[in-house]
Amino acid sequence: MAEHTVKFDQASKPVKVPTGTLLSEAAEQAGISLTQPCGGQGRCGRCAVIVTEGTVRRRSTLRLSSEDVEAGYALACQSVVEGDICVTIPPQDKIERRLTSDRTVAQVKPPASYDASVHQSIRRYRLSLNPPTMDDQTDDWSRLQAALRNQSNIGAVQVSLKLLQKLGQVLRVGDWDATVILDSILWDCPDCPARLIDILPGHVADDVPLWGTAIDIGTTTVSLWLVDLLTGEVKSQVAEYNGQIARGEDVISRIIYASKDGKDTLRELVLETVNGLVETACRRAQILPESIVKTTVAGNSTMIHLLLGIPAESIRLSPFVPVVNHIPALIASEVGILINPEATVDCLPGIASYVGADISAGVLASGMSDTDKITLFLDVGTNGETVLGSSEWLVTCACSAGPAFEGAGMEHGMRATQGAIEEVWINGKTFESSYRVIGNVKPRGLCGSGLITLLAEMFLTGILDKSGKIKLDLNTPLVREGYHGPEYVIAPAEETGVGQDIVITNVDIDNLLRAKAAIYAGFTVLADSVGVPMEAIEQVLIGGSFGKYINVEKAVQIGLLPDMNWDRFQFLGNTSVKGAYLALLDHTLRTKIKSIAAKMTYIELSADNTFFDAFMSALFLPHTDITCFPSVEAAMLTKD
Amino acid sequence: MPVEIPKDKWNGQVRVVTLGATADQGGTRTSTVTVGGETTMPFMHFEGEIPHRPVIALEIKDRRPDDWSSLLLDLWSDKADDPAVWAKAAEEAGADLIQLSLSLTNADGNPTTPEAAVDAVKKVLAATGLPLLVFGPGQADVDNELLVAVAEATKGERLVLGICEDKNYRTIVATAMANDHLVIARCPMDVNLSKQLNILISDMGLPLDRVLMDPTTGALGYGIEYGFSVMERLRMAALQGDAMTQLPMIVTPGFEAWKTKESKVGVDVPESWGDWEQRAINWETITAVALLESGADILVLRHPESLKRVRAAIEDLMTAPETV
Repeated sequence: MAEHTVKFDQASKPVKVPTGTLLSEAAEQAGISLTQPCGGQGRCGRCAVIVTEGTVRRRSTLRLSSEDVEAGYALACQSVVEGDICVTIPPQDKIERRLTSDRTVAQVKPPASYDASVHQSIRRYRLSLNPPTMDDQTDDWSRLQAALRNQSNIGAVQVSLKLLQKLGQVLRVGDWDATVILDSILWDCPDCPARLIDILPGHVADDVPLWGTAIDIGTTTVSLWLVDLLTGEVKSQVAEYNGQIARGEDVISRIIYASKDGKDTLRELVLETVNGLVETACRRAQILPESIVKTTVAGNSTMIHLLLGIPAESIRLSPFVPVVNHIPALIASEVGILINPEATVDCLPGIASYVGADISAGVLASGMSDTDKITLFLDVGTNGETVLGSSEWLVTCACSAGPAFEGAGMEHGMRATQGAIEEVWINGKTFESSYRVIGNVKPRGLCGSGLITLLAEMFLTGILDKSGKIKLDLNTPLVREGYHGPEYVIAPAEETGVGQDIVITNVDIDNLLRAKAAIYAGFTVLADSVGVPMEAIEQVLIGGSFGKYINVEKAVQIGLLPDMNWDRFQFLGNTSVKGAYLALLDHTLRTKIKSIAAKMTYIELSADNTFFDAFMSALFLPHTDITCFPSVEAAMLTKD
Repeated sequence: MPVEIPKDKWNGQVRVVTLGATADQGGTRTSTVTVGGETTMPFMHFEGEIPHRPVIALEIKDRRPDDWSSLLLDLWSDKADDPAVWAKAAEEAGADLIQLSLSLTNADGNPTTPEAAVDAVKKVLAATGLPLLVFGPGQADVDNELLVAVAEATKGERLVLGICEDKNYRTIVATAMANDHLVIARCPMDVNLSKQLNILISDMGLPLDRVLMDPTTGALGYGIEYGFSVMERLRMAALQGDAMTQLPMIVTPGFEAWKTKESKVGVDVPESWGDWEQRAINWETITAVALLESGADILVLRHPESLKRVRAAIEDLMTAPETV
């Protein structure tokens, strides 16, 4: 058999190998160890090399674009030596960057056109008052109003008793110089007088930020952004599990708990979470919570009801009507959020009992209401809300997916924070996993994106059968009978930061399967109900509490997302908090959310058994009807 | 005026499955039974082919059962004490197939051992030349233990091993593959679950012409309409070309009907209920015939009189009217 010379740039000496040798074998012979997390099966693309001279026969180019191949890229584990060649191995981080086609990253930047003096409803004015004299015995409040009228052209102003109580002292401490903060445009009463939020002694400089927060109260996760209202910059992003979780994992069990004398407890628990986040964000930005003067709140209807202490039973019972969809502007002290007591609290409007403000805000943030493209917007969260449509029409539905993709209720689940495994590859031969951890520290658990890739890898490597059962008859100690039944070990205790094996159990997998099946069934039934075939959907926008990204390929492989070209997907992160952020900055966008909410048509999935049928059909890997997933079928054939 | 009868056109066909193996084929059966092959909904002879008529199995146990109706036990009398004798009697009563259901325990209350199970199966095989279905007691771990022993001891017979469920199928499928047997895939009245289990079994490498599916059903008055609808939808999916639903269907109307109050209870019931034995037989017969109409290929019964009546119904239904 013919021998060929293979020269690696990184190796001191060329090696001689017979025809038909894999590049990866040649590399090993040359003493070079290539990264092969998938075990040399051509699935992960991490062993890409560049053939600089000569050619190789590429058995598979699954991970490479045609430009890559033209540039000489080849997967070492899938390329066969058939002549003399020179090979160079690109640095690993370069490969990682090139492999980003299957994931998309969303960054937060203030809208380019943001101008606080135009868009922001909160205004700050510096006033210089004439001190009272024996000749001018005008009272303090009239004096302040006159100054506002003369110096800032503000007519009538509403004021609370609390502010009147401190007014006199503030004016005198500041020696009749004062800074006032007003909410000038109240969404529920645009013609009403501005409302005084605070009055500070002296003149506050222009470059001192004016603080606001955007809050998303999810069933599972609460997120909060601390924002400088003048520049629009997000200064801090924090998130924490909703303290109500212990009282029920989904909205229905929360409502039941609330109706059994638990309303106040649930309200206290979520306020505790929100106030904890306020405190953390303020500590990071080194500011006082009292300096936060406005907050917008998005969340599903149940969460908003529970936050405000409004009975939510009617949401659960037919005909499923919430007490209120459009909540008037409130102030922080009556809601119980520990920021400036007079701060405006604007709870964004919801659409129906099971499609709340998080979705109207999400639709705004996603931009789908501005595009002509037929767009599918998926909120991959506990309530699995889905919106389909474009600038002309919007339909929406919700299905209970459970908290699995937020890492809650899982043996080793966690939020997408430092220490969370966000991506997993499993070697198809040894069943050992390699993983990437957020923050490059020892792993502490798995977050949503990690769970998605893990599920896909376990399925593709045959650790799971198509019904999601862990096969105990594999020849590896990593698959074992654990305390909660069959489990797979991702990281043994000594590799972790928690001192115990990080595993996924069959119970976890069942939860994940139910979550993905509910979401898939939700959008397929929704699309079907308006006669839109899947292939007519031009873009899929994904929101959810994942980390930086969601691995679209893996999400398709488990049957969570529809099987279409990766370039049609875009991951937007937490769209609910982003929508709340936009509404916080710009009162015209706040008005727009209201009109989006009014425009959406809600489809009730529980009206017949179509959804259940679709759900059962999706409760399989990737789906009972494999013809819906041609790319996964192809990947499974390659594996064999 | 001539009436035009509308006809459905189907692309798919139910798989043909043969139960049992003769000496030439590596077994010891004197005859085999073939089911499936339909290209139309049940008995729509004018639309497509029904090459193999539905068949009837009689159910026997490896020992005298504790929980069967006294009507059945009186009828079989001491034949029920010996599975070989019982099987022979079932064959003489006109069964196409014998279903041997293994008991969880023996008469002394001790667990049935694999050796005892193998012994019972071998006795039945020796006593009758009909193809045989062997059912475990219905507890996953016990089923696996007994059926693996039976499968290994009867390699090549093309027995039908029952039953595989989504939580317990791998062991039984593996032993069926290794020993040339068939399996039954049972799911609780759901089209998707049935299809999923068939995919899982097929993924293990067992050819689908060695799989029967049991969609589960209820007796007359106990949910039969739901079972009927699931079977109908499975069969329609099969005829529409869905390969994973194109398996012949086996149902157990005997088991279902004989656990109803109407069949079990002979005293303290309203007089208008009529004769107990007739009622019980009617219950089993009507349950079976309804399932026949929804696409059943194999019916497992318990009473020989029901068998006669269902057999007559099959003869009628299989005779295509000449005028159409």
